[in-house]
Amino acid sequence: MRRAVGPLLAVTVALVLADSAVVTLALPDILRHLDTSVGQVAWVLISFNLVLGLVAVPIAVVFGRAQPRFFSAVGIAVFAGSSAWCALAQSIEVLIAARCVQALGGALALVGCLELLVAKYGARRGVAAWVTAGVVGTATGPFAGGLLTQAFSWQAIFVVQVPFAVLAVPAALAVRAAPELSPDRHRPAVRPNLTLALLSAALTAALFLLVLLLVEGWHHSPGLAALTVSVVPVAALGARPLARLLQPPAQVEVAVGCFLIAGGLVGLALLPSADLVWTIAPQALVGLGLGLTVDRLTSQAMEMRLPRVRHAGWTISARHIGVVVGLAILTPVFTADLRDAQVPAQEAIASLVLDAPLKPDDKIAIAQSLGRELTQQQGQVPDLHRAFETADLAPEERPAAAQLERDLDEQLERAATRAFRDSFLIGAGLALLALLTVVAPHRKTTS
Amino acid sequence: MTGLVRMGALPAAALVLVSGVLGVQLANGGGTFEPLRSADPCVARTVTSQAGGMDGLTERLVLLGIDGAACRLHVSREALTLELAQPGVRTDAQIEALHQGLLDAVQRMKDDGTLPPASDLVDEALDNADLNGFVEAAIRALPDSVVNAALKVDDVLIRTINDLDLRSILANLDNEQDLYEQINAAVEQAVKDSLADRLRELLP
Repeated sequence: MRRAVGPLLAVTVALVLADSAVVTLALPDILRHLDTSVGQVAWVLISFNLVLGLVAVPIAVVFGRAQPRFFSAVGIAVFAGSSAWCALAQSIEVLIAARCVQALGGALALVGCLELLVAKYGARRGVAAWVTAGVVGTATGPFAGGLLTQAFSWQAIFVVQVPFAVLAVPAALAVRAAPELSPDRHRPAVRPNLTLALLSAALTAALFLLVLLLVEGWHHSPGLAALTVSVVPVAALGARPLARLLQPPAQVEVAVGCFLIAGGLVGLALLPSADLVWTIAPQALVGLGLGLTVDRLTSQAMEMRLPRVRHAGWTISARHIGVVVGLAILTPVFTADLRDAQVPAQEAIASLVLDAPLKPDDKIAIAQSLGRELTQQQGQVPDLHRAFETADLAPEERPAAAQLERDLDEQLERAATRAFRDSFLIGAGLALLALLTVVAPHRKTTS
Repeated sequence: MTGLVRMGALPAAALVLVSGVLGVQLANGGGTFEPLRSADPCVARTVTSQAGGMDGLTERLVLLGIDGAACRLHVSREALTLELAQPGVRTDAQIEALHQGLLDAVQRMKDDGTLPPASDLVDEALDNADLNGFVEAAIRALPDSVVNAALKVDDVLIRTINDLDLRSILANLDNEQDLYEQINAAVEQAVKDSLADRLRELLP
């Protein structure tokens, strides 16, 4: 048990930070299962990040005066219980409430695990383990969530967290750590936290929008979408060896990371087709950028600053408020763009049906069937396959109808891809703003 | 590793990577992956049909007619089609544009020689018509040259279009039987009127 304590605490940190985006690929399933609206289901994501962002610093302040192991154990237990509650939720309101409690427990667990990891491994290795676990959790969250949704259900995302968290409770209690009673000597590191917030908003664009494009826009399964976005964490793993090889100064490393994320997002905005292959290189750029920035910025924000937990609280807050700001900016933009994409998509569909090499009766049958499907699937990118299945067509017309179906699907993919373009570009703009905060000249302090 | 290399190597690598990725994407059509744009309805397009006979003729007439109407209304053919497919009140401008568009379509098909002769359509027309068997057999026995001399397809189509209540047809697009009966009645009447006028012309 003693040897498992450190890894269990690190896994808890990764789980809490993965929860920030873990449900992204499950949102369409949650929407259907809980019979809710797109606006409400977005709050499953927003509520967790908002609560975590708002409570991280106050909890860190209170935490400084408490016994870390008890506080951490309570936080992890609340996190475990609320994860189980999320899995059992039968309405969107209950799920959102459970996510808020989960974030509260998660905030306690995060700051607690930092102190326990420091007590276990020493300050340098403990903070490094905490930061690395956080980056791994952030990068792999959507991937893990997508695979679990595909293999089991959206509830499985929350169920699998429970045993890890339950095991982490005795692990937390097993670490003897004294409260960190250092005085409030340092002000929060504004610049790295601001950069972290802006990058989190940009990374939200990369992960949240990309999975939505893959699942809702291009109609891929959550499992395939999860495999596709796994490029980001894999590329992030390559960032450290690259940095070690080229040995850039820390500021240059962070600036280059911001530039790579911006470049990757522009790449996602300029996809030449709906082939998944085209998403790989832009995602690799985003992943490399993530690997170069997030852990480095988190370390910068906490380095040599006391009390440690309070500065950790600021980084948690910056990251999750950044995610919320990203969602707040991007959600209305892409939902409006998706709405605006309906007219050109419908006109493209009408054009192809009118000119299709089919007999007039079959064209009319398909047009009527398409009309019914489009009416039923208002508010989302429609699946036209059923329209062709239900259309009463002569057997000899089937090949031409199948070609028409493929052409119409391509038009929908084009419309959806175009609808996400501006959001990806805004994400790139956020990453460039983050770059500005890095390269902007420092104000000289007079002594 | 010198300070300059440490400062410049990673930014240079990043610049190469980003430029490479974006360059390859733009070279392969990145940024232009958008839905098909609607063509200008005022520019004549080639219209074909997979069907023959009356169905093929009707389809080509309607497609060209919608083009003409859309051009008059300054909207795309697709926008007008989607608009007309929705239930609702049609404006006088829409009805007039559609009427003129169909008449233009007849003229265009006549000009480019794509209107079939009446003899190509007569058998199909007789199959659909409710005529006395003796009369039907007599008409079928007529040589093509006589049929074509007696009936001009463009004249029949123009009379049919002028006779059709487009507002009523557009209001009943979902009722196929009603639509069929209205169009059939208009075609029959147009054939009768055309034949009567032809006879009047032949009489001194």
